[in-house]
Amino acid sequence: MTPAVCISHLTKVYRRGTVAVDDLSMTIQPGDFFGFLGPNGAGKSTTIHCMTGIAKPTSGKIEIFGVDAVKDYREARRLIGLSPQEFNVDTFAKVTQIIDWMGGYFGMRTAERKARTEMLIERFDLVSHAKKQFRDLSGGLKRRVILARALIHDPKLLILDEPTAGVDVELRRDLWRYLQELNRDGKTILLTSHYLEEVERLCRTIAIINDGKIVREGPKRDFMTGGGLEAAYLSATGAEPDHIAAGAA
Amino acid sequence: MNAPTEFPVMTPMPPMAVNWVGLWTIIRREFSRVMRVPIQAFLAPWISALLFIFIFGFVVGKRFPAIAGHRYIEFVLPGILMINIVNSAFLQSTSQIYFQRFLRYVEETLVAPLSYIEMIIGSLAMTIMRSVITAVGILLIGVVFRATSIDSIPGFLFWVVGVSVIFGLLGIVVGLWANNFEQLTMLNVFFITPLSMVGGVFNTVTMLPEWLRWLAWANPFFYFVNGLRHSMIGYSDGTYVVPIAVAVTLALVCALGGFVWRLFSVGYGLRE
Repeated sequence: MTPAVCISHLTKVYRRGTVAVDDLSMTIQPGDFFGFLGPNGAGKSTTIHCMTGIAKPTSGKIEIFGVDAVKDYREARRLIGLSPQEFNVDTFAKVTQIIDWMGGYFGMRTAERKARTEMLIERFDLVSHAKKQFRDLSGGLKRRVILARALIHDPKLLILDEPTAGVDVELRRDLWRYLQELNRDGKTILLTSHYLEEVERLCRTIAIINDGKIVREGPKRDFMTGGGLEAAYLSATGAEPDHIAAGAA
Repeated sequence: MNAPTEFPVMTPMPPMAVNWVGLWTIIRREFSRVMRVPIQAFLAPWISALLFIFIFGFVVGKRFPAIAGHRYIEFVLPGILMINIVNSAFLQSTSQIYFQRFLRYVEETLVAPLSYIEMIIGSLAMTIMRSVITAVGILLIGVVFRATSIDSIPGFLFWVVGVSVIFGLLGIVVGLWANNFEQLTMLNVFFITPLSMVGGVFNTVTMLPEWLRWLAWANPFFYFVNGLRHSMIGYSDGTYVVPIAVAVTLALVCALGGFVWRLFSVGYGLRE
């Protein structure tokens, strides 16, 4: 079966010489709920940016459902929906416009775009906010708009870069249920998060990145033995577990 | 969030030679952005043109002798129109690119199936539209107040569109390069405004001292102003000025177009 994502030897060096991703290879199977963990600055967002076209890979190859993300970028990008970590939105635009325009960029015709936008606005409980400017929304509402925008073209692969950061508990749980539904319906999901509980609950496969390299990867169950995901994460990233840090202090 | 809703079945998107819908969406987005500031975008240049017509037409203009049979206001208005076209195009273009970068919503188009050419054409389309609306508005004001006429409509449109493309492309370069608002205005302050002021807007080349005339001949604005003036009142500063102006305009469109395409293809100022 063609993997949803196949990254081979990806390296990204920024202009000032910072190596953000260093010879990274990883595969995500279709229909998987894939957790991508790592400390701040480990290279998670850069990897995602290389997959989606926001950053240019220095070397290596990225395939999305068998389509080369650099050479056949148009085809590859149609397969991906991205909910980025930071709000990359025209903050003066209205909620409906933000979602509708994104559908337009993806080549969706007016009728299709309108139906889909209305459905997503209703689904994300944004009906009473549809005519508001993005800057007038609360943090949680903004996050919902970004998610709706990522789903407008019904992508096969959904990339969520810390989708629940700054979101209240209730919305987070709603969102988890929704993501599980999407995944059950066959959407492949790549999730980065600093909430290990979230990853534990949602993901079937986990990869941990540190200093631009994958340091551990496998099914979730492999991470759950001997202290659980947190211990596995701390060990993989070289951080000290709480009891050691407390002892040293 | 509301209860799960059935996703409508999406029709598969066909492979696109040109992403027309995407291109149109960029134009729609920019139109919506311009219409948030209609006073700044359209009313300001029209009011400014009206004031110029009042000053040069009714206050000081009568004291100037006719130039080749044309009243001074008739001579000056094409230049004023040109300055407004240049400003409209440059401001529209720099602000749209810079704000996309500043607020990071350029990423919306970067992750979409849009080619560089589509992004550039989308940006330029609104720039041209804004310039044409500004120019036609000023032309109508001029006609209503009997301050100008139009000799050739195709010629007029050629100069409005050609010059707005040049300054639209230049605006894209500055919008990609600038990292703050100060840098955004630098080209306008040190290059565009001074050159436009000495580009034959207010005087013919023969009014300049002989030793200073090279400044007009070496100034691209001189050709743009003469080209537009020729299309409006049929006057230019010499027989060969208009053909040279056409050649300069087309050469600049090609050179800047190629340069902007190159900047987009390497991701300068856009991709990390």
